[in-house]
Amino acid sequence: MSDDVDAAFDLVACLERVRASDQVAARELVEHLHPLVIRIVRAHLPRRVAEEDLAQEVFMKVFTRLGQFQGAVPFPHWVSRIAVTTCIDHLRAQKRRPEFRWADLSENEADVLDAVLTSENDVSANDALAARELVAKLLEQLKPDDRLVIQMLDLEQKTLIEISQLTGWSTTLIKVRAFRARRKLQKLFEQLQRKERS
Amino acid sequence: MKTPNSAWLRLVAAARQAPTSGDDSAPFGFSTRVAALAMAVERPSMHAMVNRLSWRALGVALMLMVFSIAANYSAVTVVSESDQDPLDLVADVLTSS
Repeated sequence: MSDDVDAAFDLVACLERVRASDQVAARELVEHLHPLVIRIVRAHLPRRVAEEDLAQEVFMKVFTRLGQFQGAVPFPHWVSRIAVTTCIDHLRAQKRRPEFRWADLSENEADVLDAVLTSENDVSANDALAARELVAKLLEQLKPDDRLVIQMLDLEQKTLIEISQLTGWSTTLIKVRAFRARRKLQKLFEQLQRKERS
Repeated sequence: MKTPNSAWLRLVAAARQAPTSGDDSAPFGFSTRVAALAMAVERPSMHAMVNRLSWRALGVALMLMVFSIAANYSAVTVVSESDQDPLDLVADVLTSS
């Protein structure tokens, strides 16, 4: 969303109207916040959950808890935190994680994996989508909390402070989870390399 | 041969180049539906909360009452049986006179 649009939208007035049960204001608020919420939902979408359903759940929580918003943090940060915690609740609810198998990869994904495991060359820009799909499959092998941390650190390139603000976890805990996640990914890559050699 | 860590870093670097998927704006009807749902959900007022807590307190009090009666049932029955044969001092005085 552009800065012009952000500047034109009077968030404080809109929130006041929403608190007074103004349905039009509620609709405007949803439209204003949707890009922020949907980006978080898409980044942390669990399997078999529709992004629209999850976004709706986030917005319902926002409206239900609106009375608790004291303005200590900017409103978009408060909404982001609700979105992140809703996503992680859904990720935790997934009891089983699918096994990562080379045979399940598409041709492009297998090529990308082969390239990063064996070649010195960078992955070509044309294979960026395949790389992202592959990253998503690898991240599914991690525990939900570890997955969230490594995704925010490595993929979204957020700082420890930003992750801490979004999740409510301490930076020490985030570092521990990132270490655990990287160790698990390392083991996974080692297994894949052994299979590649054999 | 690349080390596993550098393989991961190269992979995420490539993944970051992928274009972001789709339009970020709300789909048609989404905001109207969510706003209607949000406004339909009754926000708990102070009166409703006190009302609900009162019913809960009444329930807890009833449970405690039943529990205390059950726990002291034997003591109550012993007392009531002894009450059936009290010392009737007035009758004794009347009969003696």
